[in-house]
Amino acid sequence: MEIYLPIAEQSMNIFVLLALGGAAGLLAGMFGVGGGFLATPLLIFVGIPPAVAVASQANQVVANSISSLQVQWRRGNVDLRMGLVLLLGGMIGSSGGVWLFTYLKRIGQIDFVIAVTYVVMLSTIGLLMLYESLSTYLRRRRNPEAPRGKLHTHYLVHRLPLKLRFYKSKLYISALLPVGLGFVIGILSAILGVGGGFVLVPAMIYVLGMPTTVVIGTSNFQILFVAANVTFLQAATNGTVDVVLALLLILGGVVGAPIGARLAAKLPGVVLRGLMAVLVLAVATELLFELLRTPSSVYSLGSREVLP
Amino acid sequence: MRRGLVLVAAILAFAMPSAQAQGPRVEPPPGAVPAPTIGGPAGSGVPPSVPPSIPGVPATPDLVVDLSQARVSITSAFQGENILLFGMFDPPGEVVVVVQGPAARDTVLRKERFLGLWLNTGRQAFDDVPAYYAIAASQPLQRMLARGTGGEILSLEDRMASVRSVGSRDHDDLIRFRLGLVEVKRREGLYPAAIGQVTVQAGRLFRVDLPFPSRLPEGVYEVRAYLLRDGKIVAAVSRPLPVGKVGFSAQLAGWASHEGELYGLAAILMAVLVGWFGGAVMRRI
Repeated sequence: MEIYLPIAEQSMNIFVLLALGGAAGLLAGMFGVGGGFLATPLLIFVGIPPAVAVASQANQVVANSISSLQVQWRRGNVDLRMGLVLLLGGMIGSSGGVWLFTYLKRIGQIDFVIAVTYVVMLSTIGLLMLYESLSTYLRRRRNPEAPRGKLHTHYLVHRLPLKLRFYKSKLYISALLPVGLGFVIGILSAILGVGGGFVLVPAMIYVLGMPTTVVIGTSNFQILFVAANVTFLQAATNGTVDVVLALLLILGGVVGAPIGARLAAKLPGVVLRGLMAVLVLAVATELLFELLRTPSSVYSLGSREVLP
Repeated sequence: MRRGLVLVAAILAFAMPSAQAQGPRVEPPPGAVPAPTIGGPAGSGVPPSVPPSIPGVPATPDLVVDLSQARVSITSAFQGENILLFGMFDPPGEVVVVVQGPAARDTVLRKERFLGLWLNTGRQAFDDVPAYYAIAASQPLQRMLARGTGGEILSLEDRMASVRSVGSRDHDDLIRFRLGLVEVKRREGLYPAAIGQVTVQAGRLFRVDLPFPSRLPEGVYEVRAYLLRDGKIVAAVSRPLPVGKVGFSAQLAGWASHEGELYGLAAILMAVLVGWFGGAVMRRI
């Protein structure tokens, strides 16, 4: 069944879009990250213009993150102070990111930048995760009684100025670090149309040294507002948010997320992280292949301007 | 079924010449050559367009055309559409139909391999590029055009040769960009590659299917039909064909482009509500 997407200006199969949203939701439920990193490239593969895919995906992230924030908040897993500090950087980063996006779109390089950023981000994260889960797995197999490694190391975090106490995270660190982290995630969020959870969550654990219990909830808090900011700015400056597309993705995601959560409960964490690493690397490889492959046509159309 | 209806409509139009008189006639501008009559059954709901000013075309009601639809409506279910143009002409003669979308500036991007990666390195803008261009004829077009129609009827190649490039670029490269432009438009179905076939029945009724893809720029398209005798245009009829979003799609698109801020807030609100309640409902199940 086809539906016409008024902003993407083309018709698309409803079930393809629902399935795409469902897959993103499944990942969100399974791994606790948004799944946008998979949904946005897939939307572009099926022919949605990248600008519309990114902006509409940001809209979907709003729904996705409020859905999981609901649960995390009730369980008290949100470090509000940390969330707000992250958000400060996130708002600046995402606003700058939308501006950068608009500029890149105008000079005709947005597709390339989206693809390259995805390849770099996903392959780095994927390799790190794969290494981490494989080494954990092997270590546990060799010596199941071995204690877990230190959760975080103390170096840079403790030397920067503007130290703040984060009670819930049991941290006393410089505010500059979460602000900077939020800033980077904000830019990524604006350009890639993702929440950025797949970068934010590991960074909060390994760089900030936050306890894992509050990481998901706090990242969801920051992602919700950053994604809302990106949606608003994209709609206001580029007019590229397709609510019909976003709604279909959201509906798919709403169904997919609990299924993912139930699957996740049945699999051990190390297997889960290994699976995710493989998935992330697969998407990165496909995107890299697209960049390297000789295109079927070297020509494409840029913007169309109706002159007065 | 559809074909039958069309035939009936065309025959009705033919059998009742008075029907044409009921429609409002467009007065030609002062000093202009009297315009050919705008055809079509009365009460089709479409006001006749201002006829094209074609020098040397005599005022003859030799050619009557109508469209199976007054407009192309882009609804939520739109998947592209075929519109039937049908009509009647006074034999002998040949019929050529040209459909043109609104002209605008289009920018063509060209990818090149850079450090092993393909990225857009070249860009060239063209002015006066039709959003859509289709041409159909009742006999091989080249033969008709070769006899000269005063440059009024242009094949796609000729039409594209007339688009103006913006800025300067070396001649050969410009030609490559222009070919690239046609290639992309063809791929999107906006320049149907083949010259369409105008089918003639009973020596005087004709019909042609005009294909419109799902990714269709909006605007007022122009459908022109010409009657040629011995390579000369003896009659021409023009009909506007508005292409636009209607209903829900139109509302959303209009809102998105005119009130982006409000649209953005509404999009966020929608996501928050669906995410909140959808999540809550699904967790219960």
